[in-house]
Amino acid sequence: MIAIHDLVKRYGQFTAVDGVSLDVQPGEIHGFLGPNGAGKTTTLRMIAGLLKPTSGRVTVNGHDLAQAPEQAKASLGFIPDRPFIYEKLTAGEFLRFHGGLYGMDGVGLGERVREMLDLFELGRWEHELVESFSHGMKQRVVMCAAFLHRPRAVVVDEPMVGLDPRGARLIKGVFRRMSERGVALLMSTHTLEVAQEMCDRISIILKGRIIARGTVPEIRALGDRHDDHLTSVFLKLTDGSGLQEIDEIV
Amino acid sequence: MTRPFPYLLLPHVLASRNRARRRERGDAARAVLFGGVALAVCAALYEGAFWLTAELDAYAELGDYLLRIGLSWLFLTFLSFLAFSGVVTALSSFFLSEDLRLLLVAPVATRRLFQARFARTLVQASWMVAAFVVPVLVGVGRARCAGPGYYATAILTIVPFAVIPVAAGSAVTLLLVNTFPARRARDLLMLMGLLFAASLVVVLRMIRPEQLLRVESLPDVTSFFATLQSPVTPLLPSFWAGETLFASLRGGRDLIHTGALWSTALASMALLGAAGERWYFAGFSRSQEAPKARFTQFRAIDAVVRWLPFSSVRRQLLVKDLKIFLRDVSQWSQLLLLFALVLLYLYNFRVLDLQRIPYMSVLVKNVYAFVNLGLAGFVMATVTVRFVFPAVSAEGAAFWIIRASPVPLREFLWSKFWTGLVPVALLTEVLTIAANHFLGVDPFMKVAAALAILCMSFALVGLAAGLGARYPRFGADPSQVAGSYGGVAFMVQAVLLVLVMIVLVGWPSSIYLFRQARGLPLTSMQLLLAAGCCVAGVALSLVVWLGSMRSGIAALERMSD
Repeated sequence: MIAIHDLVKRYGQFTAVDGVSLDVQPGEIHGFLGPNGAGKTTTLRMIAGLLKPTSGRVTVNGHDLAQAPEQAKASLGFIPDRPFIYEKLTAGEFLRFHGGLYGMDGVGLGERVREMLDLFELGRWEHELVESFSHGMKQRVVMCAAFLHRPRAVVVDEPMVGLDPRGARLIKGVFRRMSERGVALLMSTHTLEVAQEMCDRISIILKGRIIARGTVPEIRALGDRHDDHLTSVFLKLTDGSGLQEIDEIV
Repeated sequence: MTRPFPYLLLPHVLASRNRARRRERGDAARAVLFGGVALAVCAALYEGAFWLTAELDAYAELGDYLLRIGLSWLFLTFLSFLAFSGVVTALSSFFLSEDLRLLLVAPVATRRLFQARFARTLVQASWMVAAFVVPVLVGVGRARCAGPGYYATAILTIVPFAVIPVAAGSAVTLLLVNTFPARRARDLLMLMGLLFAASLVVVLRMIRPEQLLRVESLPDVTSFFATLQSPVTPLLPSFWAGETLFASLRGGRDLIHTGALWSTALASMALLGAAGERWYFAGFSRSQEAPKARFTQFRAIDAVVRWLPFSSVRRQLLVKDLKIFLRDVSQWSQLLLLFALVLLYLYNFRVLDLQRIPYMSVLVKNVYAFVNLGLAGFVMATVTVRFVFPAVSAEGAAFWIIRASPVPLREFLWSKFWTGLVPVALLTEVLTIAANHFLGVDPFMKVAAALAILCMSFALVGLAAGLGARYPRFGADPSQVAGSYGGVAFMVQAVLLVLVMIVLVGWPSSIYLFRQARGLPLTSMQLLLAAGCCVAGVALSLVVWLGSMRSGIAALERMSD
């Protein structure tokens, strides 16, 4: 599971994340929504150990990230929004390297790499250089890496960017299967339909603070009408409607 | 779009302006260092050209003849450089540049885009030649007391002279890209260029030009100049440029050669423009098709590394670093040039004729051993700043993989250290031991130099890895990283360290050799001081090595703040 408590990140005078707390239980898919610049990626990067919080606590599967960073990271998978990987390695080499970083070695690693490549429909690209891959394929390689070491918790930043419908369906299927197996998934997304379809619970962040949390029906209930679509509720909560102004300008 | 083509250069102009406006830590130090070096080179070129022209003036007609040939050969050298530089620069500016996708989807006529890209290629490929040729021509002009007409002619000569080879180079690129995929063509060109440069350096040295300076070889000098005249030379723009400038030096005008330069430059631009309109988009389209990349699997690396007594993590980091390095032609191909320079280095010691001064040969040999130690130290600093210092930056945008993994950053940096140490230590030990063997220095000096080099390897590789972690440039290519503030800071500290180590090794060694030559034993005080120097050398290396690594690890850990 993932638990964060009163997480704060300040850059000089600017507070990017302001006292965020949330927990993602085993088997739960937790959506993390918010407009651009709300603090989503900063929060996820702190959970992944890429950024040090100004204050607050991050726990991954019972390991405090500040006290035992290696144990916490070993049980976590991270999928960033932009799939930067080593362009001059083949997909198979990259995954074996990644497995090595997580303490995997030997014959089992090779089998696991092939298993993950097949799962993400990249099996026939195992021996090709990553530099020749499309954005969507690189994104799938990163996902292979994130699930390679059988993490108990996964943090995903914008998983659907650059994926074709087939790829998006595949990813959704994988995420569901992982959650059924007890993996805790924290997923930031701008695609509200994906959040509505997949997430057990949703947290909405605005200006660094959580402004709403609950199941999809609970969040929808926050709208003006009970049958409001998640998009309308999101826009209402984040002061981002502006549709009238758009009409006037266009 | 109806705007003229210079509009398309606006982003580069604005980007350059913004880069110039941006202030970073170490700007002043970098400006002083690089500006000072540039000024010193310009001053040396000016002084050299001035002195040589003034000396030739004393030989009347022979002097004029040599100056005329010299100008022609100067331009011939630049001609070949410009043509090669034109090919390489055109490849990136016409076909590989990131902004091309933006421009090609915009309503811009291919002709205008092609013109803008050619202007950019011309400036990028020729600025260095212009920077070298200007002080030389000013030096020649001042020595001959030339009037303003000479300087105006120089400008009117350099412009068409640069246009012709760059246009030819761009045409070759156009042809290449329509034949090979662009990235494959770039790799091929880079490799060919470096092989050419490396073989040129080796061949030039093997000719042993110093022999021409001997009195008994004077007849060879005459025949050497005779070979400079070739039937092809008058057909080249370098000859036309030389003739034009020589005429204006004497106060006259050579309208035929000036006309030849300008008409050829304009014709080559027109022809290139027509070829561009016909084949540019086809070539660009081809370069986007990215056929299946061919590459080497390097399975031997996996097999060898598997047997190394390292942890799984360190083995994986080593395999990754080695494969990425070997698959990037721009990285490893520079090793060819390095290899050529190492060969020359050893060859110079091999042919060193110390027997000409027999009564001093023993002393001179041992002095040369110190020179060798210093040179090996500087070679080590140069190799280290180019290959070890950028090691952390080379992770680039993929560094998140290491940071998000359960690998301690300490282990990551130590892996970079050991990966750098082994080749650097091997290279410099081979250099030092082989050169000292060729020199035939005292066995004591051989051992002392080998140990000093080992200590320096640990210190310099540690310093490079540590400073590389403290001043990473994740977005830049390795050569840019080496020239950054951190790279300059490393070079300054590395040179200081090498100098201190030479003093610490040199002082007790010289006392030992001096006493040995006179058949005297070392006094107990001298022994104590010699031991103190050795301990100080080892301690200094240890402090620099471990201190730098520790500060590098701390800097990596601070990155998440």
